Amino acid sequence: MSFSKDDLPFLKLSLGALALSLALAAGMITYSDSYLAKSQQARADAQKHLLDARAQLVAAQGDQENMSSYSQEYLSLQNQKVIGAEQRLDWMEGMEKLRQQGFVLDFKYTISPQQGYVPNPPVEAGNFQLSRSNMSMQIDLLHEEQLLQFITALHSQLQGWFMLDGCTLTRATAGVESTPLKAECSGGWFTMKNRNMP
Amino acid sequence: MASTLLFLSADSFHASIWQGGKLGAPQYFSNDADGREQFSLFLKRHRNQAYMLVDVIEEDFRLETVPHLMGSARRDLLARKFEQFYRGSPFRQATLLHRQEEGRRDDEMLFSALTNPQRISPWLDALLANHIPLVGIYSLPNISTPLIKNIESDHVLLLSWEKDAGLRQTYFNNKRLHFSRLIPINGGSDAFSESVASETPRTQQYLKSLSLPPPGEVLDVYIICHTSDRVALQTHLEANSDLRYTYLDIQELGKRIKSKNEYTSSDATPLLLHLLAATPPSSHYANSDHTHFHLMCQLRRLMYATAATITLASSLWSGLAFWQGREYVAETEPVNMQTERALQQTQLIQRSFANTTVPAADMKTAVLMARKLSQYSPPPENILRDLTLVLDNFKQINVVKIGWHPSAADAAPSAYPAQVITFDGNLAGFGSEYRRALDYLARFQLALTQRGYTVTAEKMPLDVSSRGIISGDIQSNSSSAQFTLKIIWRQKE
Repeated sequence: MSFSKDDLPFLKLSLGALALSLALAAGMITYSDSYLAKSQQARADAQKHLLDARAQLVAAQGDQENMSSYSQEYLSLQNQKVIGAEQRLDWMEGMEKLRQQGFVLDFKYTISPQQGYVPNPPVEAGNFQLSRSNMSMQIDLLHEEQLLQFITALHSQLQGWFMLDGCTLTRATAGVESTPLKAECSGGWFTMKNRNMP
Repeated sequence: MASTLLFLSADSFHASIWQGGKLGAPQYFSNDADGREQFSLFLKRHRNQAYMLVDVIEEDFRLETVPHLMGSARRDLLARKFEQFYRGSPFRQATLLHRQEEGRRDDEMLFSALTNPQRISPWLDALLANHIPLVGIYSLPNISTPLIKNIESDHVLLLSWEKDAGLRQTYFNNKRLHFSRLIPINGGSDAFSESVASETPRTQQYLKSLSLPPPGEVLDVYIICHTSDRVALQTHLEANSDLRYTYLDIQELGKRIKSKNEYTSSDATPLLLHLLAATPPSSHYANSDHTHFHLMCQLRRLMYATAATITLASSLWSGLAFWQGREYVAETEPVNMQTERALQQTQLIQRSFANTTVPAADMKTAVLMARKLSQYSPPPENILRDLTLVLDNFKQINVVKIGWHPSAADAAPSAYPAQVITFDGNLAGFGSEYRRALDYLARFQLALTQRGYTVTAEKMPLDVSSRGIISGDIQSNSSSAQFTLKIIWRQKE
């Protein structure tokens, strides 16, 4: 079977119908597929939004629980000036008050520049930046009990959190030194600062 | 679908419209310029597909055995045979009758042709000029096979009378066309009976010359006739041992092939035209040039069908996609509502929070961290209390120096750093009673251990191991009764 140009008029309607059907099919399939893809995407987005909303709800419920459980302790840390910038003047004033109260015969202290603090073993610090200003103390004691009282007063009376690392108590050689006991203590003033807070 | 059925005999040409199983009245056209003009006008009014049935003497049949070939080799072979047998006619065909079962298994073919093309050409030209879709050009023997489908005999001579052509005798061997002859008849049904009576024995003689049927077998003659002619035929015909006559009622035949026409005479022309329209054979005499417009119509129909299929399929596809999309939309609605509810609950909870700028999670982190870090530097009382209590029971031990510091390395199994106490002391009042002094120190260590400390002696007052040096100076011994213990205190969980 052979075709020529003369056959085109004979076939033009059917060719037109075929072309129209192809165009119609392409249009319908494109439009319906696009509708399908959009609705599928909308469903996926909705499901994602739901997951996000549920996560937000769980977080809010957690926050609610945290608020009631921890707000008092957090407030106490704030009042103690553990949270925020360190307050060296408070420490100095506090140390002088201790001196005046005479818990020990005498003491000297040295506070070093503030440094970043990495607890060992490590702890989860979240958004907080941990710092410590190390302090060493030389304390003259009459007896061991004075050291304990002094340390207790240091913790209870001063604004801030002094982390006592350790002490070394040395009994003086009889008749050579004026004080029977000497203590060398070290530790640091601990502060934490929220990175997200101004 | 309506069809135009054309019948061409030696002396006449007529056209009928066939629709819904009923054949219309024939319209005759004379074979001259006027007749052909009338035919053209007829075709302009009836543009249906057309079948041309030819019933003429000038039809030749040749039985040939050819090698069994396929594809282009077969086409070339048939073309050579056509050129050899029927060079002058374009109306030719080859039908496979049988494939031999032995030897090379050659094909037994029936070559046939309409050998007087000039008889057909004027009408064919008119069809082509009017772009009429001609399905094919058929000869009467070509289309008769369905009529003997239910006949059991292997040797059938089918007789039919076409008013405008004559008596047609067609021999079928094993239901396959072998040869056919047309005897022109002038006159009515009486002439038909007489002609059957006179011509059938002649045909039988011819077949006998071809050894058909083989000796001992009967030739079954089937005559298509109207009831009214049957008596006359029976009068003229007499059966013998080689010949057996059977009468096929034209009305019954018509019903069998679902014709809706009434047949009032033995003229088989309308019956055969209906048969052609109802069950056209696949092979015929027209070539692709003749059936060009029919093929075009088929192509057009195919394109319409394809277009309809594409439209339907795409509609179904789109419908399914829309349906699925609506399902997704329906599923999205409740999800959005759940999201909205969750957000509202979240807002409600957040509004209930105290007016603080600190996120609750940060509060929790700070508090938990502070609780944990408070265990990193326990009060000295906790570390030393038990040591002091033990010392109260060991008056002969003097403390020279005591210190402590945290140690993460010694923490295990506690989660918090251990406190390592370095205890420097000496033993008093033991003189040279070394054994008692060492026992005393051992008891001291044991007492500390019982209080939960881990005790390691770093320096003993007297080294009694094989590695140590021992001197006998009493003074020196009493002054060197110093020892150092490493005492580890751990947080209780």
